Amino acid sequence: MTDLLTPFHYEYMVKAILVSGLIGGVCAFLSCFITLKGWSLMGDALSHAIVPGVSLAWMLGLPFSVGAFVAGILAALGMGWVKHNSRLREDAVIGVVFTSFFALGLLLLSLYPSNLNLRTIIFGNILAISDPDILQVLIISAGAILILGLKWRDLLLYCFDEGHARSIGLNTRFLHFLLLALLSATAVAALQTVGACLVVAMLVTPGATAYLLTDRFGRMLGIATLTGVLCGVVGAYASYFLNGSTGGCIVVLQTVIFLVALAFAPKHGLLAARAQRRAAASA
Amino acid sequence: MNLLAPFQYSFMNEAMLVGALVGAVCAVLSCYLVLKGWSLMGDAISHAVLPGVVGAYMLGLPLAIGAFVSGLFCATATGWIKSNTRIKEDTVMGIVFTGLFALGLVMFTKVETDAHLNHILFGNILGIERGDMIQTLVASVLTLAVILFMRKDLLLFCFDPAHARAIGLNTNLLYYILLAVLATTIVASLQAVGIILVVAMLITPGCTARLLTDRFDHMLLIAASSSVLASCLGVYASYFMNGATGACIVLAQAAMFALAFVFGPKHGLIAARKRLA
Repeated sequence: MTDLLTPFHYEYMVKAILVSGLIGGVCAFLSCFITLKGWSLMGDALSHAIVPGVSLAWMLGLPFSVGAFVAGILAALGMGWVKHNSRLREDAVIGVVFTSFFALGLLLLSLYPSNLNLRTIIFGNILAISDPDILQVLIISAGAILILGLKWRDLLLYCFDEGHARSIGLNTRFLHFLLLALLSATAVAALQTVGACLVVAMLVTPGATAYLLTDRFGRMLGIATLTGVLCGVVGAYASYFLNGSTGGCIVVLQTVIFLVALAFAPKHGLLAARAQRRAAASA
Repeated sequence: MNLLAPFQYSFMNEAMLVGALVGAVCAVLSCYLVLKGWSLMGDAISHAVLPGVVGAYMLGLPLAIGAFVSGLFCATATGWIKSNTRIKEDTVMGIVFTGLFALGLVMFTKVETDAHLNHILFGNILGIERGDMIQTLVASVLTLAVILFMRKDLLLFCFDPAHARAIGLNTNLLYYILLAVLATTIVASLQAVGIILVVAMLITPGCTARLLTDRFDHMLLIAASSSVLASCLGVYASYFMNGATGACIVLAQAAMFALAFVFGPKHGLIAARKRLA
């Protein structure tokens, strides 16, 4: 029994568990908007595109989140610009821009090794997170929650039906960039926990899980945030016993919960759908 | 004299050859993916191969087989979940591939050697072994043969699936052929450029070519030659910069895309501006 409590004896584990829970919650909150909007590829793209910013910020002695945020915004602007000026499909443009940014980041990292090495960027390294980094995560999370709390109705309408949002006089261009900025900021925070390749899971999976379980957006936000926090906490805790890859554990856990919801969700799950079909056939 | 130094090392020459071969195969496929709008699919499958690779390594099987199986599993699971729920396809894909990638990472912590994973993630084109080279060669030739053999059908399927179905093509079969070809190509590229950057090789050359021509035959040729050139330039430049080779290759491709985007004779930025003026 005491064995189960050992992770809590280590300060770094307690910190990691708390920070993972916080980041998991914030990302999950945002994920409801991302899944509605269909921006999975954008989330994946921005989480890769911030890597050169991390490397440059290290060279210039700036906080890494500033560099990452700037790189994310630059990538998003670049995508918009190329898309607007060429006849390529959006997904292709996103692909070209984010892989270029990411390759630049990898090259910079191989040329100028920094404290955030390749392993951290790919795997995340929440167990070794430093206090200044925790402060950055806290600021980002507070800012993101504040903005989402103030603007969630507008953002919801924008994600759900852009044309309608524009017709009732909302500034959709501003909302577009607000959402991009939020995405970049949370991607920066999530990069530390789960690594660049898995950020998109934090930004998509909880929202999709909640979407299977409810039809009301308010509840969806609640369920998603809850699963996000829970997976962050339990995943970090479990990684102590598995001895490695905190990010991997968190995301595997999120995927498992998604699969459970997929099978057993009361209304939109696979079993429910089968029962409905059978009822319809016999009626 | 110094500029020729890289060519004196056999590993540099081999790297350029392998890079060029992989680049050509990826480029040909990228033309279809760009038309079909499957960029995210390439990204997803390339990440999803990780658990297969680690699993095959644990069981002592050829890595290529594990990679192929888990790549195809990702694609079919995505299709299945999407057709059975109300969640959007891109979201489903994001969930499935990250779930598999995370599973691969967790499995990997149970394997001792570290070097191998790095090679799979980032490629190891400069130290590519004979066996891996043969694997790459076989997979590349196979994919190229299938694509060229089914060129017309695949093109119609990517361009207008409804029309393809209407004239009696088996679009389901074509869908799976394209997926299988994609998975094989990714397996072939793993050793050279790694999981993380394969997706660039599967998107950028096709986009570059699309900006330069309106004919699909020309597009295939331009994509393949720009990709081959980028691979050679990337390997060559990485010798002097002493930086990550895979990243240099991708950046060379990005530079070509940027050139085509600005100076493309018909669809480029400058041409468009002239038309406006």
